[in-house]
Amino acid sequence: MRQRYGRRSQFLAAMLALFALGIVVQMTRIQNSPEAETFRQLSQDYAYEWRAFYPRRGEIYDRNGYLLAGEKIVYEVGVDLNMMTDPHAIAYAVADALDLNYDNLMSVMQNPPDGLSYIVLADYVEAPQAGYLQELKKALNDQAPNGALGGLTGLQFKSHPQRSYPEDSLAANLLGFVNRENKGYFGVEEKYDSLLAGNPVTVLVPTNPTKAFEIPDVPDGTTLILTLNRDLQAATEDILDQALKTYGAKDGVIAVMNPQSGEILAAATSRRMDLNEFWNYSNIYDNAAEFDPIISKAYEPGSVTKILTMAAALDSQTVTPETTYLDTGEVLIGGVTIQNWDLNPWGVQNMVGCLQHSLNVCMVNLAVKMGANTFYSYMDAFGFGHLSGVDMAGEAAGRLKIPGDSDWYPVDLGTNAFGQGVAATPLQIMTAASSIANNGRMVVPHILYAMARDGRQYKVPDQFGSSPISAQTARTLSEMLAVSLESESSVALVPGYRVAGKTGTAQVPVNGYYDASQTNASFIGWGPVDDPKFMIYVWLETPTASQWGSETAAPVFAEVAQRAVILLDIPPDAIRLQIAQK
Amino acid sequence: MNISNVNFPNVNRIIHAYRVAPWRVQRQWIGAALVVVVVLAMVAALYLNIASRTAIAGREIQDLSETISFSRQTSADLQTQLAKWTSAQSLEQRARKMGFRPVAPNETEYVAVAGYVAKDSIDLSSTALPRLNAPAISPEYNQSLLDWMDRRLVARSVYQ
Repeated sequence: MRQRYGRRSQFLAAMLALFALGIVVQMTRIQNSPEAETFRQLSQDYAYEWRAFYPRRGEIYDRNGYLLAGEKIVYEVGVDLNMMTDPHAIAYAVADALDLNYDNLMSVMQNPPDGLSYIVLADYVEAPQAGYLQELKKALNDQAPNGALGGLTGLQFKSHPQRSYPEDSLAANLLGFVNRENKGYFGVEEKYDSLLAGNPVTVLVPTNPTKAFEIPDVPDGTTLILTLNRDLQAATEDILDQALKTYGAKDGVIAVMNPQSGEILAAATSRRMDLNEFWNYSNIYDNAAEFDPIISKAYEPGSVTKILTMAAALDSQTVTPETTYLDTGEVLIGGVTIQNWDLNPWGVQNMVGCLQHSLNVCMVNLAVKMGANTFYSYMDAFGFGHLSGVDMAGEAAGRLKIPGDSDWYPVDLGTNAFGQGVAATPLQIMTAASSIANNGRMVVPHILYAMARDGRQYKVPDQFGSSPISAQTARTLSEMLAVSLESESSVALVPGYRVAGKTGTAQVPVNGYYDASQTNASFIGWGPVDDPKFMIYVWLETPTASQWGSETAAPVFAEVAQRAVILLDIPPDAIRLQIAQK
Repeated sequence: MNISNVNFPNVNRIIHAYRVAPWRVQRQWIGAALVVVVVLAMVAALYLNIASRTAIAGREIQDLSETISFSRQTSADLQTQLAKWTSAQSLEQRARKMGFRPVAPNETEYVAVAGYVAKDSIDLSSTALPRLNAPAISPEYNQSLLDWMDRRLVARSVYQ
């Protein structure tokens, strides 16, 4: 009996062992089969996925710490098709809240692309709308009977940052904008795009939910601090808008720069876009040069360039301030007769009178006396036809024809001397004029004041260009310009502050001819003359109230200067001298 | 004292019978097998326990990292909202509503205050936030026992 049980037990044990062995053999066979290799490869393919982690885009501040470009939270609204219970309810709620088409939403949810279990219904949804939908989903869940799901089950919300400009259109031309692909266009956003955007990090992430992975350390993009003064920018834009109405100008710009450092303090353009709605770009601008004409739109500046011709003449010792000449009202050059702006002779004039009355004949005489080589060498040194090097995207170089060019004619020597036949941007002229305000040394205009990264702030040093004229010439010419404004009791004068400046009125070339009915009115000026803290450039396009820069651009200069001295905390000359004497 | 040396015939027989009893050998085998099973079960339980705890800890770290990330987003969002409230246009509108008007240049007077030095620009270096990125997750929180053994074996083979 015992033996029989023993044999049975042994048989049973052998069978179980055989069964276990069979399982092991089968496992080994499966694991080494060709199909197993395929499945192993598949599992490896799906075990990890590459995921990119993007840094926060750096912020942009003005010099006083006002945020000009930051980030706000927006939402991606999507639907998980596996969890969705009522597509009609979702389509209805989303269409109602986000002003989307109900039929389109239904079509997307009912005919999803193959293999997709999550569909994006809308992106960049503002927080209030997303919040409304989230509340609605919660309310429907709460109202559902026990165990049932709400009608919006499956609707999901993913937050992500979006570039935001709290000042809307303020300084739009300087800042530029960022599109939804996080790429910067125009201004600072484009120029410093890579610096602001930082470096995204891509890592291999396990898809196994039980496997934790290390979130990479992605440093934020660099924060930029601009030289801009927000309050002065706002004031300048207000003044420009008012000037356009007052003088009936089509467009205009006003730029304010520190002529000793090249810091751009304000730069207003008449066409400004709300940067939060960058998709309106094509409705506002006809071409890219209109986004920031201060650096992108070259035009014939007219008489404001007379200060550069005079600088060249003084520096080359062709004339002195006291040099006189007989103004007959016209002069022949290259077979063409050039006349003064008023078509009248002004008799004997010295160089101060030449600038004060803005005499074309005087300028032609100076250019002829200097000779083409000397004159164009100075114009080249002043930066005409070259980029100023400003750190904003989209700068234009302008054009300076020189002898030897196929389209240069002898008359150009005369017309170039008073600002016709030469194209320059407002910032180029300011850069050239900075040599007069800054003891002969030109500045490199810039908008970046400092950068902040990893808790440290790095000041961007001021840069300087060449010195086309001597310090003595610069001081002499500044004095001449100040005297010429004071002598004619110009409307550009600023009470309490001594300023130097020059008006400009240039006819607009239309189809190769100058249209006498259309002018560009300009004014460039700076002050205080003995220690300049601001340089202001005003350009009004085709003003209708008056065609003269002295009656349109000059008073605008004075208005901006009066606001600038307050906002930049510049003491009146008398007080400044008192403080200096103490 | 050795009990086998004592001259008790019955006792010796009982001891002998105990020693050669077949069930005793079977019990020894069963006991040994049970010990192996219990040890394996303990290892498996320990492995499961540790693996699940590390997975939970890793997930918590990820959740906290995401919370930090969202908090930073929220902070940036609030900062932007604040900037919107204090924007030039907004402040001017509120000031006008309160009855203020822009001052005319001839209404201002420059007062020099001895010792006062106007701030030239903002300094963001002093307000720098500490780095809030997720710290490196040590291998103990994302490595299985097999991964650990594998790493040890690889390390040993490298050093040999």
